[in-house]
Amino acid sequence: MLREVSSLDCILADARVWRLKDASAAPTRPVWSTGCSSLDARLPGGGWPTASLIEVLLDDTGLGEVQLFLPALVECQRRTGYGGSDDAPWLVWIAPPHEPYAPALAQQGIELTRLLVVRPASATEALWAAEQALGSGVCAAVLLWLKGTDDRWLRRLKLAAEAGGALGVLFRPERHRFESSPASLRLVVTKGEHETRLDLIKVQGGRPGPVDFGGA
Amino acid sequence: MKSRAAKSQTADLFAAENALPAAPAPPAIPVPPAIPVPPAIPVPPAIPVPPATPAPAPQTVARRCVKQLWYAAVFPELIEGEPAVLRRLCMHAQRFTSFVSIEPPNALLLEIKGSLKLFGPLERLHADIDACWRRLALPVRSATAPSTLAALWLARAGSPGAGPPVQVEDLRTLAGRMAELPIDCTAWDIERLQTLRAMGVTRMGELLRLPRAGLALRLGKDAVQDLDFALARQAAPRRAFVPRERFRERCDFESEIETVAYLEKALEPLIERCARFLRERQAGVQTMRLKLRHRMGPATCVHVGLASITSERRRLTDVLTQKLGRLELPKPVRDMELMSGSLQPLSAGSLDVFAGLGAGSRDTAPQLVERLRARLGEEAVYGVASIPEHRPEAAWRRVQELPLASALQRTDHGAADRIMPRPVWLLDVPLPLPKDLVLEQGPERIESGWWDGRGVARDYYVARRLSGARQPRGAKLWVFQERQSKRWYLHGMFA
Repeated sequence: MLREVSSLDCILADARVWRLKDASAAPTRPVWSTGCSSLDARLPGGGWPTASLIEVLLDDTGLGEVQLFLPALVECQRRTGYGGSDDAPWLVWIAPPHEPYAPALAQQGIELTRLLVVRPASATEALWAAEQALGSGVCAAVLLWLKGTDDRWLRRLKLAAEAGGALGVLFRPERHRFESSPASLRLVVTKGEHETRLDLIKVQGGRPGPVDFGGA
Repeated sequence: MKSRAAKSQTADLFAAENALPAAPAPPAIPVPPAIPVPPAIPVPPAIPVPPATPAPAPQTVARRCVKQLWYAAVFPELIEGEPAVLRRLCMHAQRFTSFVSIEPPNALLLEIKGSLKLFGPLERLHADIDACWRRLALPVRSATAPSTLAALWLARAGSPGAGPPVQVEDLRTLAGRMAELPIDCTAWDIERLQTLRAMGVTRMGELLRLPRAGLALRLGKDAVQDLDFALARQAAPRRAFVPRERFRERCDFESEIETVAYLEKALEPLIERCARFLRERQAGVQTMRLKLRHRMGPATCVHVGLASITSERRRLTDVLTQKLGRLELPKPVRDMELMSGSLQPLSAGSLDVFAGLGAGSRDTAPQLVERLRARLGEEAVYGVASIPEHRPEAAWRRVQELPLASALQRTDHGAADRIMPRPVWLLDVPLPLPKDLVLEQGPERIESGWWDGRGVARDYYVARRLSGARQPRGAKLWVFQERQSKRWYLHGMFA
């Protein structure tokens, strides 16, 4: 009864309502080059989308999955003036499967003083931390490793990423491949016969399909 | 020098007490010549005395001491480790004064000078408070004195011959009253009391006559300080008991409510009041509880946890209505009760004047880290730093003190000086590995650390596992062969 009184403005203000105007504005968002031309070519705008959620599905670590994002992260940290401040943006890694090895990251060019590692006790805490970090507006990217989660939490993460202008990258097992997901980009990383194989299974504004990934 | 001063002081006190029956002239009030002041605090050379009060400065000190009157209640039957009982008794005592302090293990101290006007005179107030304990069927020993410790000691010693409780209102008579007390009432440790007994001291009076410096040497400085506290030469600060507060308010409905939408509407004023309650106390909550009672059957409880401590009405409403929206009411609701979790001090970051005016609420990095640490624990949020060191496991460390405030200093990474790549993941402990590897890059010999007992001599390679078809497959690994044992280990992964 009470809900019927709400006006059109209220409905449009609801985050769940998707307006066509937003869709046309989407390509103007900056993209970060992946550092790999064959992958760039497959992504709308020519790079990883920012202010959105990317889902990476893989069963094993050590397939070069972090390497996919490192060039983009380095690039975005180099650019100052992020989010209206002169400071370099932060990177937050939540629940990584092993210790991030500082010399390797420094070797790649990551600013270690702007990297935060978070080790939450449970998956819910991890999701909460990711939501906080994404929505805070001080982070450029949040990398999150999870065993499993539900659709509702992913939607929250996506909304937080959009609000905070950060890139959320979620790594989770491949068995979630056939579940619905609000992520704007989903890719599956598998061990190939010789090299790592990369499959785009959902690309908002692009075409899904396997990528001829040049490998490491 | 000092000891002589202290001795003459106690002598003065006794003299004053003996001279009490005669009309006491104000200048005779014994003021300790040297109030022990911690040397680190510089004493202002001249305290400006308001011209209206003709009293000299020392006298104001004495008066200030008498401005406090302490009622001590000792509950001999309370066993140690019952702070909850003492806290409940504090709440009872708060009827008489706003300043109640808990004295572990089994006593309370009440500042009652301020209450005398309302509840006085002293005899009546004292009897009223005693009656309060009697109603609770608690045996109690009580006393009133101008200083905290004196009141406590007098109460512990009890009144002689089960007479009326001891009430000392005047600072001048205090030392005299205390002189009769046995030294046991100080509740000092047994060792110290035995030392005193061995010295032939059994009463406070004998103790007070002893020279100060010698006492400090034999019993420790805090014993002398206790005596100073008891004689009100030095103020003994106490912490007032503050009861834990919760917000709790109930709303009865005229008719039973069946739809959640109406509940949401009815909840609004409750949340409004809760937010005001929190704002007034500059506190926030992290949990809320809503209880919906039905005519029959158990009440429905809605628990709400918030991401951060807040007192904002909007956030509370959001979360509560979100929860209510998913709720299916089993039965119509007759009344509901909103309860807050424990109140927590609000951090300054949450009170943003311009919240909602700017482009969304933006945090700063310290705020984010603080919030993450508040919920996940200090240890769970850290940074990493690399250390110039050859041994891979020693080449990095966790950083707990994050460089949050300082501006970024861009470091020039020596990317060129390392030809061999390093993996993104490093295992805590190298894992033994069967040698079915394809070595793709290497070796990189690392031989170091012989000087601190954790020496390594290894050849590192970038490698891949062999699949069943003898083809390199899967993850890129960082492996090493120990040069002495020729064994292979996995040390990292190129994620």
